[in-house]
Amino acid sequence: MARIRLESAGKRYPNGFAALESLSLDIRDKEFVVLLGPSGCGKSTTLNLVAGLEELTSGSLYFDDATMNAVPAHRRDVAMVFQSYALYPHKSVYENIAFGLRMRGHPAGEIEKRVRDAARRLEIEPLLERRPHQLSGGQRQRVALGRALVRQPAVFLMDEPLSNLDAALRIAMRAEIKQLHHTMQTTFVYVTHDQAEALTLADRIVVMRDGVIQQIGSPEAIYDRPRNTFVASFLGNPPINYLEGFLREKENQICFARGALSLILPRQYSERLRGQAGRPVKLGLRAEEVDEHSVPRAGETLHGRVSSVLPVGSDQYLGFEVEGSLLFFRVGRDLRHKEGEHVALSVNVNRAQIFDASTGESLLWDGSA
Amino acid sequence: MSRYDQMSALGLLAPMLVVLLVVAVFPVLYSFWVSLFDLKLTRPHRVPFVWLANYATVFQDPLFWASVWRTTWFTVISVAAIMVIALLAALLLNEEFRGRRFLSAVLLVPWAIPYVANGLMWKWIYDSGYGALNGLLFQLDFIDKYMVWLGDSEKTLALIANAFVWKEVPLATILILVGLKSIPGDLYSAARVDGANVWRRFVHITLPALRPSFMLVLIYEAMMAIRHFDLFFILTEGGPAEASHVLAWEVYVETFRKLSFGTGSALAYIMAILTFLLAFALIRALGKKL
Repeated sequence: MARIRLESAGKRYPNGFAALESLSLDIRDKEFVVLLGPSGCGKSTTLNLVAGLEELTSGSLYFDDATMNAVPAHRRDVAMVFQSYALYPHKSVYENIAFGLRMRGHPAGEIEKRVRDAARRLEIEPLLERRPHQLSGGQRQRVALGRALVRQPAVFLMDEPLSNLDAALRIAMRAEIKQLHHTMQTTFVYVTHDQAEALTLADRIVVMRDGVIQQIGSPEAIYDRPRNTFVASFLGNPPINYLEGFLREKENQICFARGALSLILPRQYSERLRGQAGRPVKLGLRAEEVDEHSVPRAGETLHGRVSSVLPVGSDQYLGFEVEGSLLFFRVGRDLRHKEGEHVALSVNVNRAQIFDASTGESLLWDGSA
Repeated sequence: MSRYDQMSALGLLAPMLVVLLVVAVFPVLYSFWVSLFDLKLTRPHRVPFVWLANYATVFQDPLFWASVWRTTWFTVISVAAIMVIALLAALLLNEEFRGRRFLSAVLLVPWAIPYVANGLMWKWIYDSGYGALNGLLFQLDFIDKYMVWLGDSEKTLALIANAFVWKEVPLATILILVGLKSIPGDLYSAARVDGANVWRRFVHITLPALRPSFMLVLIYEAMMAIRHFDLFFILTEGGPAEASHVLAWEVYVETFRKLSFGTGSALAYIMAILTFLLAFALIRALGKKL
């Protein structure tokens, strides 16, 4: 059990590259936090700092109330799963799992019991005498998990643990990791660049970019109320659509306008957007926020031309040209549109996002998670 | 493969096969043939066929067994020293520090020096009258008079081994360094998180991962040490008395000093079989890696 706090944490390498400038993050005890971002955003560095594999060059790290800055990795109560699994190649599966307990001086009987328990839980009991090179990718993954969970650590760290698995296995393992967190009742910090993993697993997601935290929040908050266009674009498949245009006020209603297009924005937005008529903005519309079945109503409709129809099995993606911009929407597969056809699509404006056109910051973000 | 292809392949290989037959296969077989005769150049006209009598003579000679023992001792201390020093050097060169490239280049120098030049250099270093070793130890007050280093039969083998080690360490270092570089960094990270301190990481990660490199160095250097001749020839000629009379020297003395080609060939064959067994082990060990 541990609460993890990073205060103004910085990591600068001898060559002058700053992986993290000043990062502050408070992870609650037993929380499942996912660090999400593109490669090079500093998420793995943050994880390594918590593990003690790298040292902070500025700021502080606390587990509960103890400063950890100077505590070496092997004295921290932390377990970690690596993307490469990093299994010890010359040790059997049993010895791989037992290694951490041996290094920490647990009695032999207890090691035996805990290794067997972990193996049973991960269904790798028949593999205990094998060497890592005799295992499949999925089996190695389980051994790596076993090696971490057998320690019953205060902090459980995972660095892209599923990226080397094939797609089907990845989804199954996601469910297992979530289950693991539930039964272990310990703090999880999980690094990934896969938005779907983040949305599935996290209590809270930390979106990072260039060593700076962009937004911290629940998966719903991150998905529904992104703080800026970077966060908005990073989540969602196909990605969120943007339309550049202006704010306009008429008859006490606030609208988004671009050419002949005018969308009436919901009433709850008006408090934050009032008095800014004429401001250039970007409208963000997620791919699923069209309602192909409802009757188009004025102020909630996109008129445009279907430029492509891309079936993806369960759904189809619709390439849609509106006012000179190409948008992609996900619609049901029973909806029949032909390429080149002019149609009107009803939009769920209640979920539309409004960003400043130049900075990309959300005009709706109220600072809450 | 068609018959024509087989014939043309053989035709293309033929010149090299002929060369190998002439310079390798024939001499090997011929020297075995010679080892079955009592061939002495001191009486070249009488060369009786004696079956394996030369081998019997060799095995009954106490000097042979003494030289086997000295060869073994020389090999064991040389190879042990090479492995330890090369491991330490490789561990050092595997770290990042200022001047690492320069040090790596310097370390390779002994490798580039021919055995004979190496022997002459150490002869000068060990010299009793003007040797660098005497000069150094004298100036540092470790000795109060110049020593006849190679004349001390208790130290001779160790001093020759020292010169041999100096020459062999670079190659061994490189072989071990290659092994070190191939260990994934994640393994060390995982071991650190698992609670292993620096010593335990060395024992549990580094040493097991270096096993193939160690095997290679061990077998190769043992072969080199068993067969080594140059330093004995240049530094001591087997002396003082018989203090450095090893197997390779025995072959030389028997063949070229006593001009007894029969027993000399028999001795050479015994040595060849020993090295062959080691070479066989080496190829087996390498084969597993490839």
